[in-house]
Amino acid sequence: MTVLAGIGFTAPWVLMGLLTLPILWLILRAVPPAPIRRLFPAVTLLLGLRDDESVSDRTPWWLLLLRMLAAAAIIIGLAGPVLNPSRDQAGSGPLLLVLDASWAGATRWSTTLDQINVQLTEAGRAGRTVAILRLTEPEAPVFQAAEAWRGRLPGLTPTPWQPTRAQVDMALAAMGQVDGGFDTHWFSDRLTYEGHEAILSALRARGDVTVYQAPSPAVAILPATYQDGVIQLSAQRAEPGPADRITILAQGRDPAGAMRVLQSAEMEFASGETQAQVELSLPSELRARITRFEIQGERSAGAVTLTDDSLRRREVALIAGLLNREGLELLSPLHYLTQVLTPTADFVDGGLLEVLPANPDVIVLADVAKLAGSEQAALVEWVEQGGLLLRFAGPRMAASDLGRDTEDTLLPVRLRSGGRSVGGAMSWGEAKGLAPFPENSPFYGLKVPEDVTVTTQVMAQPDPNLADRVIASLSDGTPLVTRKALGLGQVVLFHVTADAEWSSLPLSGLFVEMLDRLAVSSAAKSRQESQLQGTTWEPIQVMDGFGVLSDAGNLPGVNGVELVTGQIGPDLRPGLYESGKKKLARNVLTDETVLSPAVWSSDVPIKGQEVSTETPIGGILLSLALLLLTIDVIASLALSGRLGLARAAAVALGAILLVPEVQAQTPESTDFALSATQELVLAHVLTGDQQVDEIAAAGMRGLAQTLFFRTSVEPAEPIGVDLERDELAFFPLLYWPISPDQPQPSAEAYAKLNAYLRSGGMILFDTRDADVARFGAASPNGRKLQQIAAPLNIPSLEPVPRDHVLTRAFYLLQDFPGRYAGTEVWVEAAPMDAEQIEGMPFRNLNDNVTPVVIGGNDWGAAWAIDRNGQALLPVGRGYAGERQRELANRFGVNLVMHVLTGNYKSDQVHVPALLDRLGQ
Amino acid sequence: MNAALTLRERSEAEASRLPPLLARAEQLAGTVLLGDHGRRRAGLGDDFWQYRPAQIGDSRRMIDHRRSARGDQQFVREREWQIAQSVMLWVDQGASMRFASDKNLSTKADRARLLGLATAILLVRGGERVGLTGTTLPPRRGNAQVIRLAEAWSEDAESDYAPPEHRAMIPHARAVFISDFLGPLDEVELALTKAADRGVRGLVLQVLDPGEETFPYRGRTIFESVGGSVRHETLKAGDLRERYLERLAKRKDALTRLCRATGWQLGLHHTDDSAQAALLWLYRALDGGTG
Repeated sequence: MTVLAGIGFTAPWVLMGLLTLPILWLILRAVPPAPIRRLFPAVTLLLGLRDDESVSDRTPWWLLLLRMLAAAAIIIGLAGPVLNPSRDQAGSGPLLLVLDASWAGATRWSTTLDQINVQLTEAGRAGRTVAILRLTEPEAPVFQAAEAWRGRLPGLTPTPWQPTRAQVDMALAAMGQVDGGFDTHWFSDRLTYEGHEAILSALRARGDVTVYQAPSPAVAILPATYQDGVIQLSAQRAEPGPADRITILAQGRDPAGAMRVLQSAEMEFASGETQAQVELSLPSELRARITRFEIQGERSAGAVTLTDDSLRRREVALIAGLLNREGLELLSPLHYLTQVLTPTADFVDGGLLEVLPANPDVIVLADVAKLAGSEQAALVEWVEQGGLLLRFAGPRMAASDLGRDTEDTLLPVRLRSGGRSVGGAMSWGEAKGLAPFPENSPFYGLKVPEDVTVTTQVMAQPDPNLADRVIASLSDGTPLVTRKALGLGQVVLFHVTADAEWSSLPLSGLFVEMLDRLAVSSAAKSRQESQLQGTTWEPIQVMDGFGVLSDAGNLPGVNGVELVTGQIGPDLRPGLYESGKKKLARNVLTDETVLSPAVWSSDVPIKGQEVSTETPIGGILLSLALLLLTIDVIASLALSGRLGLARAAAVALGAILLVPEVQAQTPESTDFALSATQELVLAHVLTGDQQVDEIAAAGMRGLAQTLFFRTSVEPAEPIGVDLERDELAFFPLLYWPISPDQPQPSAEAYAKLNAYLRSGGMILFDTRDADVARFGAASPNGRKLQQIAAPLNIPSLEPVPRDHVLTRAFYLLQDFPGRYAGTEVWVEAAPMDAEQIEGMPFRNLNDNVTPVVIGGNDWGAAWAIDRNGQALLPVGRGYAGERQRELANRFGVNLVMHVLTGNYKSDQVHVPALLDRLGQ
Repeated sequence: MNAALTLRERSEAEASRLPPLLARAEQLAGTVLLGDHGRRRAGLGDDFWQYRPAQIGDSRRMIDHRRSARGDQQFVREREWQIAQSVMLWVDQGASMRFASDKNLSTKADRARLLGLATAILLVRGGERVGLTGTTLPPRRGNAQVIRLAEAWSEDAESDYAPPEHRAMIPHARAVFISDFLGPLDEVELALTKAADRGVRGLVLQVLDPGEETFPYRGRTIFESVGGSVRHETLKAGDLRERYLERLAKRKDALTRLCRATGWQLGLHHTDDSAQAALLWLYRALDGGTG
């Protein structure tokens, strides 16, 4: 490539063409503009007139200049000019591009890719073969043409981990397989890791190594911790540098469910420091909403830390059976619970019915035997919605008949009367210790201290399902803690008291851990190894190198200890993990992580990643030439007097150049809304089939007229609705004739239709084929209906039952003929528990208007009238046919009445009158 | 035929705005062909006027025997003295007339025919006899003649500049020549002098396009006659303007002089002017012979 004045030319010889420009100037100057032919009857008077000078009008100098510029632009454009041409670099032979490709380089990944692109271009120009090796996902390097790699560049993404020792070994092995030497360009993320030196020495053994470093070191955020009412955030940078200020964004879902920045905090790195801290004090409601903290402007997994239960404080309602022993705090059955939960949970105070609307996470009932009926019902409902009910036994429960004969809904097991007492002064046995927790127990892995003894407990009846419900038992096998699922929630019963009267359990640390495992207290301490022993965590969402969360898919579960202490790698990805009801976040950085900068020996050349992209400007010049020539055409036309032509050309040019104006739609849609809402309007869906649409419009008109004459419903002229364009909410009823070749509505149209159905609209689907195929796929209209209705939110259907309100909304009807008669019409199915009322022929049916009515009787055609009010299409024959049309009209009236008045006619108030008319 | 119909329709519309034109008989007996223009007194004519008793001096041949046989007295049948003017029209059908410098303007031919036919209708309504110069359509009266005129004028001539038709001129009749008079002037001169020789007097209406009056052209141009027979190329049309206008003025002068010499009246009409004005001029000139 030849470089002239900072612009490179791929074909510099073409520039010689510029020498012809002066000649072109002379030629163009000499050639007069082409003559115009004009009709002119008075030419006889002109005959014999001579021109004063033999030279015609010259082409004006500016037009010549325009043409010269166009010619020059073409010549230069064809010479292949390139802005910022990259200078050729020395080097030959195979080239290996080594990428760290870890999260630390994710923020500047696009720059890295640009740089690689430049390298590939240069290598391609020099005819070098290239291989790319990513240390975080090592594969055996394959040297191939540079162009072959270019298409694969977008597939290279950074991983959320640093190269692990295993990967470094794999990379070394892969390099070992390559024969011969090669040069290396190493794109480093400026962080060191285990095996960094080994790779460098292995590469230097094969050839020259050049290191390309990101311009700035990586910044990462450590996991947030919650202590003493504040969230502590700290960030790290790999290399100490000048004072710097970063912003931390706390993101979470707002009450509407949308992700947004809930809080932001500034954090300052002091000069020469690598650590920075900030404290964030937030109300607990806001704190619970935070799902992630991230460093503003950084786009890497290291700049994101996910939060889990550790920031969240559970809301617990403590309710004791009787609190009449005023002043005896230590004897309160709730004392130990309060002590255990205070650091990690918020309490909701009040009676049971007062706390339920606050929807606490946990309700603790300590020795509560009897609940009022309403309390019981409310509590059951709350548990079924996902609440955790934690019950403790006690003297009152033991004395009551609770769960004696049948299992109480809010008890996991049946209880024997009286309970038992062991190890007391009056008993034979020793106080019992705890048995080790079974594997299926949530307490599995907790160490059982020797000194926990139980002296008194309530006993479970040995029911068949008892074994499944025991999650902790005494050394003699009697249940200590039982649990059962109830709806989405669960009920847990400690068979001992919440205070130390029956056992020493509340005095031990095990009690705290047990409550923790039950997710009663928060997971603040759940990161301790002992807590995680024996648990398996299932990934829900994992992060990629850019810090973007995505669904975990079917990644395998991870051992709890490994999850907290293991090194992030392909087998342990950062993200959100779940076990039972508890959530745990694994972040790229842990509290112990220290970022250390990569160190290079002094003889390794290090380059920055500044990229000057080559910009070919040939296309711009050629476009310019085209534009100049276009102007030349118009100017020439104007000069030679063909103004009309010139004006047309200018208009055409304007049409090409100008961006078409965006149509303002507001007035149109307002007009539509006005016309649709000023009066009641019946609407039909435009199918695109003109004949079908015309008949549907005529049918709607006919129905409107019938309604006008017979009822107080006085609809205006019907409207054809374009599903894609028009708002549907204005219409109580949509008549939708099915034609086999109508287009499938778009996703937006379906969203509109579903919203319409949800908000009380009704669609009358009409397959217009007499339902010959019984909605099977045999009829094209039926097939189309199935296709159209599939994405719609349609409830289960049934043929119109004889007591459906459609049969008596205005007229008493038993069948619903249109142009065809006798086929079934389908409406929303009645609920299963609809009961026939004593002495009435009607059931208490669904409270809503049926969202769809589906049939094939071609009602539109039966209702259709022309402008003169005459029926448009024949129905049946003779009198019977007219009767059928009348019934079709009555069906239409009933349908509109049903839509407009809902289940009014289902009201039992009118039953006697209806019965009287029915003659029953 | 459609073109003829529309032409007639528009001409009727033009003519309806003027009172019927009664051509003034300039020369009475001998000069005017007998026609059915009753003078309300006995004289030469075809139509019956009255019977009168035969008087001394009446030749016997004049006695009407059918009337006289009813009684003893002898009657002479007198005829009404009838006179009608014959007006001969010539409208240039040459290709040069089919020109309009702007698409909003009507062509000269269109305007000329309109004026010609409107005049014809006025004359017919006044009872005059109208025809074309030459032998194709001798003067007749009645609405049918108007239709024939319209038909005759709906045919375009091939040649660029049609010479005025001067054959078969009826002596002492009147004539109307409508043309742009851009063709050879000799022909016009010949026609007018020949007409003057026969005692025919009349009107010359020159119809010009505004483009021909102003010559608004510039640049390298090839001017072509409408028929394509004559062309002139110039490198700078703008420079020709002065000289062209000079020549046009000369042409008008020559025409004026010619008319003065032959006793004809000369009118100038531009296609961007109202046709009504031109018709009014024609009407007055024909009616009064003084305009």
